[in-house]
Amino acid sequence: MFLWRQLGYGLRNLAHRTKREREVAEEVEQYFEEAEAAWRARGLSAEEARRAARLEAGTMTAAKERVNLYGWENAVRSFAGDLGFAGRQLRKHPVFTATATLTLALGIGANTAIFTVVQSVLLAPLPYQEANRLAVLNTHWTNSGRTSPRVTGLDGVDVREQARSLEAVSLYSGGTLGVQLHDHSVYTELTFVDANFARVFSLQPVAGRLLTDGDAHRAALVSEQFARDNFGGAQAALGQMLHVENEPLEIAGVLPAAFDFPAKTQVWAAYPMRPESQSRTAFNYKAVGRLRAGVSFQTAQSELDGISRRLEMAYPDANRHKQILTLPLEKAVTGNVRPTLLLLWATVGLILLIACVNVTHLQLVRSMERQREIAIRKALGSSGWQVMRPVILESLLVSVLGGLAGVLLAFPAVHALVAMAPKELPRAEEIHLNGWVLVFTLGLAVLTALVSSLLPALRAARVDPAGALKYDASRGMTRHGAAKLRDGLVIAEVSATFVLTMGAGLLLHTMMTLAARDVGYETRPLLVVDADAPAHTEADSHRAVEQFNGLFTQLAAVPGVKHVAGIMGLPMGNYGSNGYYKTRGGLPVESGHDASSDFSVASPGYFETMEIPLKRGRDFNGQDTYESPFVAVISESLAKQSFGDADPVGKQIQCGLDSDKWMTVVGVVGDVRQDSPAENPGPTLYMPMTQHPFFGNQIHIVLRTEVKPLALMNTVKEKIAGVNPFIALRFTTMDAMVNKSLAVERFRAALITSFAGVGLLLAMLGVYGTMAYSVAQRTFEFGIRMAFGAEKGAILHTVLEHAAKLACYGIATGLVLSLLLARLVTSMLVGVRPTDPVSVGVAALLLLLTALAAAFVPGWKATHADPMAALRAE
Amino acid sequence: MLLFLSMTEANTDVIQGTLDMLILKTLSLEPMHGFGIARRVEQISRGVFKVNPGSLLTALQRLERAGWLDAEWRQTENSRRAKFYTLTRTGKKQLESETADWTRRASAIARLLKAEG
Repeated sequence: MFLWRQLGYGLRNLAHRTKREREVAEEVEQYFEEAEAAWRARGLSAEEARRAARLEAGTMTAAKERVNLYGWENAVRSFAGDLGFAGRQLRKHPVFTATATLTLALGIGANTAIFTVVQSVLLAPLPYQEANRLAVLNTHWTNSGRTSPRVTGLDGVDVREQARSLEAVSLYSGGTLGVQLHDHSVYTELTFVDANFARVFSLQPVAGRLLTDGDAHRAALVSEQFARDNFGGAQAALGQMLHVENEPLEIAGVLPAAFDFPAKTQVWAAYPMRPESQSRTAFNYKAVGRLRAGVSFQTAQSELDGISRRLEMAYPDANRHKQILTLPLEKAVTGNVRPTLLLLWATVGLILLIACVNVTHLQLVRSMERQREIAIRKALGSSGWQVMRPVILESLLVSVLGGLAGVLLAFPAVHALVAMAPKELPRAEEIHLNGWVLVFTLGLAVLTALVSSLLPALRAARVDPAGALKYDASRGMTRHGAAKLRDGLVIAEVSATFVLTMGAGLLLHTMMTLAARDVGYETRPLLVVDADAPAHTEADSHRAVEQFNGLFTQLAAVPGVKHVAGIMGLPMGNYGSNGYYKTRGGLPVESGHDASSDFSVASPGYFETMEIPLKRGRDFNGQDTYESPFVAVISESLAKQSFGDADPVGKQIQCGLDSDKWMTVVGVVGDVRQDSPAENPGPTLYMPMTQHPFFGNQIHIVLRTEVKPLALMNTVKEKIAGVNPFIALRFTTMDAMVNKSLAVERFRAALITSFAGVGLLLAMLGVYGTMAYSVAQRTFEFGIRMAFGAEKGAILHTVLEHAAKLACYGIATGLVLSLLLARLVTSMLVGVRPTDPVSVGVAALLLLLTALAAAFVPGWKATHADPMAALRAE
Repeated sequence: MLLFLSMTEANTDVIQGTLDMLILKTLSLEPMHGFGIARRVEQISRGVFKVNPGSLLTALQRLERAGWLDAEWRQTENSRRAKFYTLTRTGKKQLESETADWTRRASAIARLLKAEG
């Protein structure tokens, strides 16, 4: 009630200010008239009565003023007045306003854009029901410290059955697979899930039903998108048949388009609750679970620790040192990008700091210009707060302008970021500007206003009227404190920019190292075809391999094709396997520490096609059939790991890929970097497709071409469709695959480099501003020196030397800071040390040049100071 | 807003604590304009309390905003337009509670002084 009345009166008075003043005036006048009348009634003359009234009650003006001042609305009015004043001041100094606004817009825009990504990816909860209760299971080895994001089928089932803190546990597996529809086949992200999957995520189908345990190998769920693309709609998709690995599946339900787990999955095919892999050493599954309400991850983990210990006792061989870990799904989904995003966040933070320093700088220059004005106001009795208020309001206004411009900049920036982001960036489709981001930006704008106006405002408050009125910089008198402060700001700015540039240098150098790296094979020109031939039974697999072999011969005859081969386990490819192997006649191994290796299954001619050098022995050939003795080719690393300096050709090797037959090593080839150019070359065991048909139906066909690889796409597609139209196909080039594998590194390097560019631009502005200002202040001094015959070169030299000195201090500080911060990026560097001298050198040189370039224009102006004009200006 | 209010109140006269009560008491007899209130306070207190128009008119604004007074422009007996203040119902209640409070304090102080004497 009271508040409302206060608000009402105040607003009415704000709206009708003159009316209120008139009323107050009338009331006061009436009061005085009555007072005079009272005195007259006691017998005083009119003149005496007036004097008596004044004597008793003070002046009318004072009374009016006092009454008018009552009310909260007066505080609002004086604030509005100051704001208006600040606005007018900004309009009067357009260069200052534009520079400061733009600088802040860059800083705030970059921060808003990155924060948008950080908020959407790292901070916003996952778009699932009660997502904070979703957990994943990992397997951790306490002896080696290694952690795998997978579990074995039996361990998973034990956890599901014993862990009381988990409401439901679902095992799933899958990847990119060919899915056959009634007349064609498509490559799709496909996940095999058990009936618990929908329980874990609390899913509701948009059409049809969820999966039950009885659906295993019979039914599947598809995404709304998949239903629309292939059947025209969710309802139309129900009851339709899919074939996956030659197994017919009926579409039982359609999941909402918003559900996207595991990322990009379109088809969820039913697997039994009881996993088919009855092993505790084959990590074939991933596991998600839902914590019981009110149970913390710590509680769940201590329960899992108990289960892990029991399993270790029950299965001392398979489960030795094994610990099942649980962690929030959110962490599992976004964990990989967290360091990169945090690095980017820190980087834009630095940019904002540089922008703030720049604005502080501009403000300082402005406040020094109006030092006389402030001095006069103080001399007339303004308090410290009163002279600080316009300074702070001015920066607040500039920051709000900058913030608005920043948000406008952020829209296209976020768009570009998402477009540029590597495919691996999780939750990319959820990224958008929202309320949180705007609140963040607003907070940032206010913060920058405070930070950038702090120094100028304090200086304004400290102005000593007498001193300030005496000093006049334009007459060649400078106050040393002021110049020192400005120099300090430039040094701070240069050092922050150095840190940025250095970081960019390290990441760019990493990129260059990776791009120039020998990966062990020739990437260009190489056409890669992902080919998935449907196969379910052993006979299917043999037929698929036979078909592929026939295809290779046909494709080799296509004009423009030099060599053709098939491979399961292509570097950076979709399919691959690895595991332990044993040798006969090799180096002894400690028990329980079998040697491990990547496994690849290849057709004859693979090494020739990829240009992987054959070091010893022979390649596979037509005589290596399913019936003939099993053979293998090993990489140099494997030879070294298991056979030392002995010749491995003729030795025996065995692995658990699909059969335990011993294989004779027939050749040794060069090493390749398997997962990305960032990896070290490691051991690989190659086996012929004909002898491992189970791994021979999902392969990459590689074609070494004489023409542009993609130009052959249509011909190759026709040839393959001619042999079997149900082979799902996808085309790419090896070059593109290598590129894609470096997407994260490239994204990081590109962003940090562009931020460093912005930093350099801001630093340049900062140095330019200081130099221009100090040259303008010293025009008188330069004029005198020129009048006494100083060389132009000498004057230019003075200015440039000053700039160079500041830059060197800044670089030195920045170098120390970079070394302190270097460990933050160590994990992102490949082949480059955090103290990389090339990066240090380039960054230092770049900053020095930037500073000199920025100082050159003011310096050149100084040499053109006309002595007469400078003196006459007095 | 509250901050500002407290600032204004801190600025008023020494008789701040009692001025509001005196105004309310005066107005409980009949509606009056500013000078009328000042004269009445002075007369009844036999010149002990002199009221300054700045403080008085500000206090009137405050009391009006608090809802204890109503204000209205009317003609005086010598046909001059003046702002007349009337006590509202909440104003009456406020006067009662302030009077009770004041009496309690005053008698306590009086007792103390007597004991000292």
